[in-house]
Amino acid sequence: MELRVIEKTDTELSIEIAGEDHTFMNVLKGALLESEGVEAATYDVNPEQSGGQTEPILTVKTQEDVDALDALEAGADRVMEKADDFRSAYEAA
Amino acid sequence: MAPDYDVEFIDRGDRDREARFLVRDVSPAFANGIRRAMIADVPTLSIDEVRVIENSSVMFDEQIALRLGLVPLTTPDDYEIGETVTLALDVEGPGTAYSGDLVSTDDRVEPADKNVPIIDLKDPEGSETPQRLEVEADAVYDVGREHAKHQGGVAVGYRHLQTVEIVGDADEYGDDDPHILRGVIEEDGELIPTEEFDHDLTQRYPGKEVEVHDVPNAFVFHVETDGSMSVDELVTQAVDTIHGRASELKDAVQL
Repeated sequence: MELRVIEKTDTELSIEIAGEDHTFMNVLKGALLESEGVEAATYDVNPEQSGGQTEPILTVKTQEDVDALDALEAGADRVMEKADDFRSAYEAA
Repeated sequence: MAPDYDVEFIDRGDRDREARFLVRDVSPAFANGIRRAMIADVPTLSIDEVRVIENSSVMFDEQIALRLGLVPLTTPDDYEIGETVTLALDVEGPGTAYSGDLVSTDDRVEPADKNVPIIDLKDPEGSETPQRLEVEADAVYDVGREHAKHQGGVAVGYRHLQTVEIVGDADEYGDDDPHILRGVIEEDGELIPTEEFDHDLTQRYPGKEVEVHDVPNAFVFHVETDGSMSVDELVTQAVDTIHGRASELKDAVQL
């Protein structure tokens, strides 16, 4: 997984996450939208049909007191938490 | 707001290959992530390279190789992506070469089904020797995203759990058309697969007018594997791939 920051301010982040597809990006986006302090989160796998750009680009917008990069990290944590919970719920069944 | 999932099995099919289970309080995004991961991201072993020693059958080497590739192999979970295991097949006609004739160097790796026909070998009249197929093949551990033959899950999907609300009596002189519904319905906390009433709501609620509603964030997964692994292994490995990628992302962000 290679990351490339495209645009970054305190509350906004555009980042390319190479090697991922809808499987992970949509889960991540969903987790970000559930997180506190995140105002908007979306991803695009073929931004504006731009020549050759096929890696997904994640865009996160946060509230003023939250750094967008921290929010992304928290989002990743949340996905891990979900995965752990799902696994233990499945194994308990 | 920690997620609090609840998994309940509706039926476990035979041979560990098939199962239906309900997950509650799961977001559509996460449910779909798991479904996609089961199909494309859980690696299995599959024959990828074939060295033909003798092929006097009626089919080209390439066709035989394709067929061998599609044979599901039981897959232990301690392989790494790209790792290979060698198998061999040596069958002489008259008779059919089956997947069960494949011999593996790793005894944990074997064809999941023994009765997949590879090719029918003849002993043609007037020919000195019968047709023969002898090959050596390397199976590679890879993911379904690379090639469909590596898909461990062959029929993986989900539906919403549904509830049926009785809204009144059916029109007395109306048409008695069946009201077909497939899936699982919840009635007073009880889960009822629609097979129980032949998928026809008019059989379960005769003379009633009903409305069907989805239960939010409750999904009934139906998972069937090709035999490379059990349903339990497929589901847990799919969840682990998502977990792995999230932790990879976290590490990458921290740098």
